Amino acid sequence: MRNRYIFLILTCKILFGQLSIAGSLKPTGMFRISDQSQMDLPFRLAELNLGYTMSDFDFMLNSAVEYRWGEKKPAFDPREAYAVWFPNWGEVKIGKQIHAWGVADGNNPTDNLNAYDYYFMFLPGTDRKIGSLSAAMIIYWDDWQLEGVIIPNHTPNRMPFNEPDFPFQISEPSKSDATDETLPYEKIEDPMEYGLRLKTTLGETDIGISYFDGRDRSFSLLGIDTFNIIKIDPKIGYRATSVFGLNMVTFIDDITIRAEVGYFITENDFQESWFQFFSTEAEYVQHVIQCEYRTVRSSTIGAQLIGNHVLNAVGQTVDLVTMDSTTLNADNFIPGMGTPFAMISDRSLSIVGSETFFDENLELNYNVLVNLEEKGHMTGFSAKYSVMDNLFIEGSVSYFKGDDNPENRFKQLEDFSHFQLQLAYSF
Amino acid sequence: MIKTIFLLTIIFSTTYPQDGIAIAKMVDERKAPQDIVSKTTMLLTNSKGKTRTSTILSKSINNGSKQILWFLNPADDKGVAFLKIEHDDKADEMRMWLPAFKKVRRISSSKKGDSFMGSDLSFEDMTSRTLEENKYKRLEDDTVDGKECFVLEVVPNAEIKSTYSKHITWVEKETLIAIKEESYDLGGNLRKKKMFLFESLSGYNVISNIFVEDIQKNHSTKLTMGDIKVDSGLDESLFQEKNLKRLPRN
Repeated sequence: MRNRYIFLILTCKILFGQLSIAGSLKPTGMFRISDQSQMDLPFRLAELNLGYTMSDFDFMLNSAVEYRWGEKKPAFDPREAYAVWFPNWGEVKIGKQIHAWGVADGNNPTDNLNAYDYYFMFLPGTDRKIGSLSAAMIIYWDDWQLEGVIIPNHTPNRMPFNEPDFPFQISEPSKSDATDETLPYEKIEDPMEYGLRLKTTLGETDIGISYFDGRDRSFSLLGIDTFNIIKIDPKIGYRATSVFGLNMVTFIDDITIRAEVGYFITENDFQESWFQFFSTEAEYVQHVIQCEYRTVRSSTIGAQLIGNHVLNAVGQTVDLVTMDSTTLNADNFIPGMGTPFAMISDRSLSIVGSETFFDENLELNYNVLVNLEEKGHMTGFSAKYSVMDNLFIEGSVSYFKGDDNPENRFKQLEDFSHFQLQLAYSF
Repeated sequence: MIKTIFLLTIIFSTTYPQDGIAIAKMVDERKAPQDIVSKTTMLLTNSKGKTRTSTILSKSINNGSKQILWFLNPADDKGVAFLKIEHDDKADEMRMWLPAFKKVRRISSSKKGDSFMGSDLSFEDMTSRTLEENKYKRLEDDTVDGKECFVLEVVPNAEIKSTYSKHITWVEKETLIAIKEESYDLGGNLRKKKMFLFESLSGYNVISNIFVEDIQKNHSTKLTMGDIKVDSGLDESLFQEKNLKRLPRN
């Protein structure tokens, strides 16, 4: 009898919950500026977001359909599926989800809980991230917020290996010389990651500190297999990395300042006696300082200074081409975590702006990213027009220019200069 | 005879105060609900007659000093939410939840003249006016749609850095509610015309319609408040960042 009552109550609660459905259809085409050839990279053709609210609980499912014009084979991607409980004191979330830390726009050194999908690294917000199974709790108390996140398993960045149309050519790293098989990444004995964040408001300033302990999102050369004395195979995997973060938002007259800095400590903690694992330790700092201003016409202008500084790096590594042993130092160390744009340049300046016309039916955006370390820049421009409610046409151009040095990152990106057309319908 | 005249003078001077600040005080002290919930339809119309419609769920307490609202329509704005908390001793707090970024973004409250979501209402228009922050001068009485009105010239004090040089406000004598307002920019030119319609609900006069015309941009905004509920017992704890992330149940 009691079970019947419980079943009845649960059924009523479920029936009297609230379902929300939202999504979009976004057929997109990308074309090279140089020869107008179509670029065959995946894009998110459709998105479907379902939410079910029942009392203090929400159940969220966000999914997408990836598509390539070349393959013509859609791939379903359940990007997030999680439950949220909203008690009086905060939030508790469990499931596959995307977290968003940091206060700046687009570049967040302290936002490392999720891996990046490099196929979508030029998209804003959560579109460039990969959901991971995790549990999070946020406690709210007056102006204070304390958040803790636990991630049981490490998720690496999704890298576009062997993609001719991707701006950076990345070969699959682990190929056995002996068998030509793809070697696995080194198994992580303790893959659990966790993060803590504390935020508050002091006067007109929001301040936050954070800590994350986990693994690099990009792989590194950890060692070489010297067991087979004839063939030497590389050991690839993810270093242990911790990040201390600090961020701030404040206002000075009409200017908004958002600043973020992450201090990274990384080491190769893999050990096995019969393989040679490199002893690697490094410290580096990434920062973003952003100023934004809204003009009288309500348009926005912003500038962002992005930096990546390797404080020190010690250890050994090997040049996989020449097989020469090399001493690791601040110049040849490559970070495995942090904001992706810090990988392109150690110091860059980004300027963005937006303006609307025709009663916000037409939105123009522009952005310029200038490499301050060596010659090179990226210029982007987009126009988004509202045909009618929920239906947009968007065209954008991205242009990369470096110098004549083939090692120059922006030189390598020049062939990626492209224009893009998208029709977007939201429901 | 002299006694009658004297008595009438006393009655009229107490019933109909002579100066602007007294009228403003009466308007300010008018009975208002503790909290208001409404589903608002915002219709934007440009100079070519093209319209754009948004639906907003709004909850506020303490005469709008704390307000939280969620966009329900159109689809690309759905889930965007906005929290405003007014402070006496420091700058107002404004936070916006952007679902696509999964971030609560603090935005500057100093740009009061910025348009709210593309409408003809600025953030300043949405902020409640404090009696002490303005100077009031009574102008000649007028009639609007058959209703007898006090007419007040409201001049913001310099320290509040208003985007307006003054407002001319028509206050209905019977109900002491503002039914029409003209707002002038810092150059003294007419910038906006506003009309307010009220309905009686549970003993209160609550706004049911707002029409704002931006004379300089030749653009208008109409807000229609529906499903209005007053004194529903909203808790202060509702006006927190975490509630921006969750669309309230209908």
